[in-house]
Amino acid sequence: MIEDEIYRKSSQYRLWSFTSESLQSLRVTTNALASDRVRAAQRRAREAQQAANSSTSTPNPSDTDSKAAEEKTVDCLTPEEEQDLVRYYCEQTVELGERYRPPLPTIVRSTAIQYLRRFYLTNSPMAYAPKTIMACALFVATKTENYYLSLRQFAEGLPDITGDEVIAPEFLLMQGLRFTFDVRHPFRGLEGGIMELQAISQGMGQPAPHIPNQTSEDLRQGLLALPPPPSSSSSNLSIHDRLGRAHTKTRETLKTSAQMTDAYFLYTPSQIWLAAFLLADKPLAEFYLETKLGRTEEGHPLHELRMKILHTVSECSALLSSYKPSASDPEQMKKLKRIAKKRHHCENPEKAGLAGKKRVPAAAAAVGTPGISGTGEGTSESDVERLAKRRKVEEGGSGSEMLVDRSREDKPQDQTDQQQQVPAEQAEGAAG
Amino acid sequence: MPPVRNGIPNRGEEDEVCPVCKSSRYLNPSMRFLINPECYHKMCESCVDRIFSSGPANCPVAGCNKTLRKNRFRTQTFEDINVEREVDIRRRVMQILNRREEEFASKRAYDDFLEQREEIIMNLVTGIDVAKTEKDLQTYASENVASIRSNQALEREEASSFQEQQTFEKEQARLRRQAARQEYEDERREMLAGQEDVLRRLAAGKRDDAAAIAREGQKVLLKKSSARRSEEDRIRQKQAALRSSDAKKSGKAVTASQATGDTGLVKGLKKIKTPEPEKPYSPFAGFTTKRDYYTLRDFYPSSYLEPIRNDTRMQAGGFDLGEYYSRTLLEAFAGLGCFIGDEVSKRDPTSTLGISKPATEGAAMAAVSTSIANEETA
Repeated sequence: MIEDEIYRKSSQYRLWSFTSESLQSLRVTTNALASDRVRAAQRRAREAQQAANSSTSTPNPSDTDSKAAEEKTVDCLTPEEEQDLVRYYCEQTVELGERYRPPLPTIVRSTAIQYLRRFYLTNSPMAYAPKTIMACALFVATKTENYYLSLRQFAEGLPDITGDEVIAPEFLLMQGLRFTFDVRHPFRGLEGGIMELQAISQGMGQPAPHIPNQTSEDLRQGLLALPPPPSSSSSNLSIHDRLGRAHTKTRETLKTSAQMTDAYFLYTPSQIWLAAFLLADKPLAEFYLETKLGRTEEGHPLHELRMKILHTVSECSALLSSYKPSASDPEQMKKLKRIAKKRHHCENPEKAGLAGKKRVPAAAAAVGTPGISGTGEGTSESDVERLAKRRKVEEGGSGSEMLVDRSREDKPQDQTDQQQQVPAEQAEGAAG
Repeated sequence: MPPVRNGIPNRGEEDEVCPVCKSSRYLNPSMRFLINPECYHKMCESCVDRIFSSGPANCPVAGCNKTLRKNRFRTQTFEDINVEREVDIRRRVMQILNRREEEFASKRAYDDFLEQREEIIMNLVTGIDVAKTEKDLQTYASENVASIRSNQALEREEASSFQEQQTFEKEQARLRRQAARQEYEDERREMLAGQEDVLRRLAAGKRDDAAAIAREGQKVLLKKSSARRSEEDRIRQKQAALRSSDAKKSGKAVTASQATGDTGLVKGLKKIKTPEPEKPYSPFAGFTTKRDYYTLRDFYPSSYLEPIRNDTRMQAGGFDLGEYYSRTLLEAFAGLGCFIGDEVSKRDPTSTLGISKPATEGAAMAAVSTSIANEETA
């Protein structure tokens, strides 16, 4: 099918589609790597502290106790806990979008959620706090979805986070996304499907290319003869209202469960919207698929395809219906609080100061730019340079360590990009 | 069929005797001998007229049963009848096997072809395998009619252009000779006139001036001749330049031979380069607007989109509802038949994130373990 070939060219299909097994193994690997690194980093930090202590003062007896205590606290998140945490922050992204006036469009929020999900496939919440990444993902999504907000406007809508903090992990996030910003959403597909069903209901249906003997009247009669959806209370609903109701319900599913589950990784957008449609109005969804692929008998290639699609779509709808918002479940909330606390303990100390470190050149640039109006511009510029240089020297030890660390997570080809990171961020800082 | 050799010894022009009517040149000095390339038997013109005027007849020479026609009779070019015959055969074979050097893939292949041709000629001349060789030649001729004809045309063209060149050069040489003669005449005339002038002035002038006048006359002559010579040089150079440009123009590139593949007889011809059949024109390089799941309509009823259709502010910006329709419907079905579960596992394993991981994982693990080891030793 031509449409499928078009989809196969997308980066979502090429890079961000997984089988459930590969998805699971990827998460386990990411978690294991991050845990190892957290343990190693905490040990290193302790070593350094110990060394400092021993050089300045005599070793005190409480040292060994504290060491034992710390040894115990190095209890990393499990992959499942990480996933719960990420899902919580996905839900938070929706909430965050609501805070703006007017609220951010659904598509921006959904894109941000997918960025967040994609990022945390290869990065662990233990290394990078989801809270900062979430804000950054939302900001990047406003840009990629063509919904312009200035950084200042954007930061104003956020509680206790500054603009610099928002953009600090921007490059990191983009790397985690492998620089693929295109997210194929099921929303527009749903609009198309409903639009066509409306046309069919008004006797304007066009036959599908593979079933040329359909007439629009046949289609209309078929649509009108459908049994009512099993869940609906009022059986004698006009077809227009029925479509409208199914539309709203499907859209609601797509906005919530499709975002909070792994549907985007496991299924294609058109399968997702059909699955959500199936949940909303099963006879309608099956009828629509039949109009496209025909009510053919066994052995026909279209029959095979239809059966396979139906199977996949019902799998997807099962996944979608399995989602329950964590806010509605106090048990879940309690669990999430515990996870958040745990994450705080096992956060990688070397990655913690990410935003703070990134802020240095931005602040320097902010100091430098007023020079345009008053004092000589040259001096301020040299100040900026000096600061940047000093930062580089300071980071010489730990910075290169970070570089190696991250290159393990990302593809090797990203390393060159990594080395350009510092000037790029300075430029961004200056721009912001 | 081996030729019947002319048994009559050559006794010179004078006493040549027609083997048919036995009349000799001695009695009839205007007698002409004719031969027929069928059997190369010599006979006098009157015999040919007498025997073959009423249509084809057998050769009158005893033992030769060839049927001859009058129009094929011609005068002998070479004295030796064997040479005559060989030349005829050669001409005929060369007309059929008239491949040109540029048609062959390599020099070696062309040489092989020449050798083969020579072999065929010698076979026919000396009568080895005549039937087979003739058959080969005939099949080749019938199979390669087009190429034979085109090569003949090319040859003719070359010959005529060569002739043109020859006549042109001859003409040029004649003109040059004429100019040289003219020049010589002029020079002579001028010299005589100068001498006369000097003599006249000597006769008219005083005695003392004699030497001066003589020197002056000499100088004038020299000057004139040297001036003329430089002028001539200039003209000659100009002519040479013109000639070379003419030569360039006339020596136009021989048109590329029609590429033909190897035929049964001739080997090593250049491969036929049949041009790729032109594909049907596709303005978007294979991109198609055909769809498999839906047929697009021009209009879809929608209360939500209807205001846009009528809003001139939207239309003015170039917004097209058709674009919206095609995009939404495409996205409704793009990837419906992509079964990620099946397809991703079949995909090239290195291209996915998940599988590329273990490669780096090992390194990461190693790094971690070494750092731990370092700490333990420290």
